[in-house]
Amino acid sequence: MRERLRIPRPGRRERGRIALRATLLQSVWNFETLQGVGFAWSLLPGLRALYPDRAERARRLESYLEVFNSNPYLATLGLGVALRIEAEVARGAAGAERRVSRLLRALRGSLGAIGDELFWAGWRPALGVSAAVVALGTRSVWPAVVFLVGFNVLAQGVRVAGVRAGYASGAGIARVLQDPFWRRATRVARLVGAAGAGAAAGAGVVWALLGGDGAGVAVFFLLVVLLGLVGLRVETRYRLPAPSLALLAALILLSALFSASKGALP
Amino acid sequence: MSGIEVGLLVLFGAVVFLDTWPAVQTMISRPLVVGPVVGWILGEPAAGAFWGAVFETLYLGSMPVGASRVPDAGLASLVGTVVAIQGRLDGVEAAVLAVGFGLAAGVAGERVDRWHRTWNGRTAERIARSVAGGDPDAPGRGIVVALLRGGAFGAVQTAVAVALALAALDLVETTWVAGRLPTWIVRVVAVAAAAMAGARLFVRQRIHRIAWSAGLVAGALVAWGAA
Repeated sequence: MRERLRIPRPGRRERGRIALRATLLQSVWNFETLQGVGFAWSLLPGLRALYPDRAERARRLESYLEVFNSNPYLATLGLGVALRIEAEVARGAAGAERRVSRLLRALRGSLGAIGDELFWAGWRPALGVSAAVVALGTRSVWPAVVFLVGFNVLAQGVRVAGVRAGYASGAGIARVLQDPFWRRATRVARLVGAAGAGAAAGAGVVWALLGGDGAGVAVFFLLVVLLGLVGLRVETRYRLPAPSLALLAALILLSALFSASKGALP
Repeated sequence: MSGIEVGLLVLFGAVVFLDTWPAVQTMISRPLVVGPVVGWILGEPAAGAFWGAVFETLYLGSMPVGASRVPDAGLASLVGTVVAIQGRLDGVEAAVLAVGFGLAAGVAGERVDRWHRTWNGRTAERIARSVAGGDPDAPGRGIVVALLRGGAFGAVQTAVAVALALAALDLVETTWVAGRLPTWIVRVVAVAAAAMAGARLFVRQRIHRIAWSAGLVAGALVAWGAA
């Protein structure tokens, strides 16, 4: 027991290495354990500090190779929590092994839901639609740079801060997940996305009017939107993105018309 | 297309594949970024930025939520941008072919992605056996193997898709499919797609409708002013 008490606590260096390794969390993503291998490997610097003995380290590592899945940027919160409770396991705290396993199972859903809403359904398409409209108008590479920097400031920032926040809160991680930051950030992303979608519609109408015969092009613009709505059904059934079907159909139609009229159309 | 350009495209294809989900996920693999990089490789960064934006609008609503499988937007935009730029260099606006091949490459890329994940399952099994046998360093070795395999998958699928697309471009560039479509039409159809997908994703409450309307006015004024 005296030996146990002298076990070092994982410090800033270990937490930094865990955050860095978490960038490869999905490298062995598979249909059986999902992110399990990446999660276990990311935690290894902490386990190495807690378990100098190789066999004991392997035994604890094995328990993390089970199924794990969450949003890749928020997974570091789970890693921080696991590290904190693992330190208790190493000190011999009763029931800590079971607690870490139960907590990770419970966390998976929340981390996935919050992260997917914030990043995949929020900031990425919001910045994407806004930057795409500007790039279509200007043919500049700068919107892509702004998109890349803007997204990564938030995503990689959450990833790096996650280990520390998870470690500091331990089993009280629910407080971090209930922080208003997540809700506010998602709300701002939706507003940015809605404004970007509006800007796309506004710029599209102007470009259509300026580019050719106003009335004809406006009808064509409506046709594209209708095609897209039909495409939504195809998207659900065949996993093909609806806008691409609309775009492809419209382009084929227009190319055929242009070809038939020898370029006389607007 | 020179050997160096082909080599850089294949190398970039490997990076795009890895960034899509196995490593870091910085969004270098998004069409918006892939387009300008492909354009830079082929000496046409402005055209690359334009086509990257076109493909970004196509894949706006495609999200890797949970364990869902989505078309490979990175490969789609890489192939589509190569076809569009190479077509321009050959004197045709191959918009239909660029979008069509991009879309097909995205669907094929999803299949390759599935192979990679299935293969990862075998790697994970080997890792689990080694760790159970007392080797805590096995996950590190397995991750290196998986990343190398992912990079190889990305490079090969890029090489095959680009070769097929360019061969098809050679075949059809004198037919109507290659078209003589002005750029402004492609731009208008792309923003229509963006407006549609964006509204579907974001406009849910009154506050979003207000933001959408503000964006509409701002977008129209800026586009008008710039013209």
